[in-house]
Amino acid sequence: MYADKHLLVTRTATPPGLRFAGEIDLTNSEAVMQGLKVALPDGGGDHHLDLSAVSFCDISGIRALIEVATELEDGRRLLLHGLPAQLQTVMRVTGWSDMPNLSICNCGARAV
Amino acid sequence: MNIPAETRFRHEAFLYSGWAEFVSGMVPFIKGGIDAGEPVLVVESPEKIRLLREALGQDGESVMFADMAQVGANPARIIPAWRDFVTRHGTENQRVRGIGEPIWNGRTADELVECQRHESLLNVAFWQGQPWWLICPYDVEHLDPAVIDEARRSHEFVSGGSASAQSTNFRGVEACGACFDVPFPAPKAGSRKLSFEADSLLELRGGVIRFATSSGLSAARATELVTAVNEVATNSILHGGGRGTLRMWRDAGNLVCEVRDAGRYDLPLADRAKPGPGLRESRGLWLANHLCDLVQIRTFDNGTVVRLHMRVDPRHHLRVVPS
Repeated sequence: MYADKHLLVTRTATPPGLRFAGEIDLTNSEAVMQGLKVALPDGGGDHHLDLSAVSFCDISGIRALIEVATELEDGRRLLLHGLPAQLQTVMRVTGWSDMPNLSICNCGARAV
Repeated sequence: MNIPAETRFRHEAFLYSGWAEFVSGMVPFIKGGIDAGEPVLVVESPEKIRLLREALGQDGESVMFADMAQVGANPARIIPAWRDFVTRHGTENQRVRGIGEPIWNGRTADELVECQRHESLLNVAFWQGQPWWLICPYDVEHLDPAVIDEARRSHEFVSGGSASAQSTNFRGVEACGACFDVPFPAPKAGSRKLSFEADSLLELRGGVIRFATSSGLSAARATELVTAVNEVATNSILHGGGRGTLRMWRDAGNLVCEVRDAGRYDLPLADRAKPGPGLRESRGLWLANHLCDLVQIRTFDNGTVVRLHMRVDPRHHLRVVPS
């Protein structure tokens, strides 16, 4: 669905969503945000993002995820799966770990 | 500007010699706060906290205590801690009191200069806010006289023994918030240098990770360092002319990453203002201050330089208590 020199985004069937692999920084966070807005289907239910293979994400990358989440219709959420420690640290320290419409899921399930 | 001291922030250096003098100066200040119904927070060494608790007895039960070596290992984290205390426990009509000793004999030279900057910035951070009284004890017996001289410039009031007076050397709030341009010591020999712009952030991170892990930093701390360096470099790209230079070196048990760009950093509290929920608020320097052991920011005529320090062995960060 999206690829650049350090990030690959693919669709997942179960749960329906997207899988990110690689690094998100200033050079591709805008593309991630625009891509997410286009790729997430309208309609009910949560959106699932598998971030377990994200080896690095900067503040602009997290800002992109939050911006997408805040624009979701009421009652819909962006569910983040497999959040790596680096991402968790950035979200906690920046005060962005408790945002409406954005949930961190520790279910351990792997998207396929 | 002539607002009575009782209705605004009072920042006072307390010069003491020996623990008995410390206790006999601080206990009346704490008790005065308790008697006036003012919440009191003491951020000190565990040894001094124990002494104060003993001297206060039951009165001490309502006093809050915190370990300065934890709160203020990186002195840029102290202002957010005070702001948290003041907004939680005080109001325009509810004064609060604090004791905080950020400078002790055993701070490294780099830490000391950042502590002194912190003392100046306290005036900028609080002078327009609600009234509260902060006393910063200075151990004249173990600190260099130049450190005491600087305390007279960064504090509007200076006390010692039973006397308290306005400091004639106070540099004033405006000068306290001016761009910080105290020169840095030169990088250590053998420093690695690489230039970066947006397209080379990936390579920049790779370079930092290799340097950090080959220098003995744990994987988790190396990741924290690279996260901080990446944000500072991102600031260079966005606000500092689109590019910058990274230098890295080892200094005793310390790793230093220096980011240099052509920008001008003139927001003295930007690195220590807790970000709100707003999406556009800057968070990079805040993050760096909470991931690194020390962050040093200077703005010179030709640009901005940020040095990020990481101890290889964090146990070395334990405070050295003068005997």
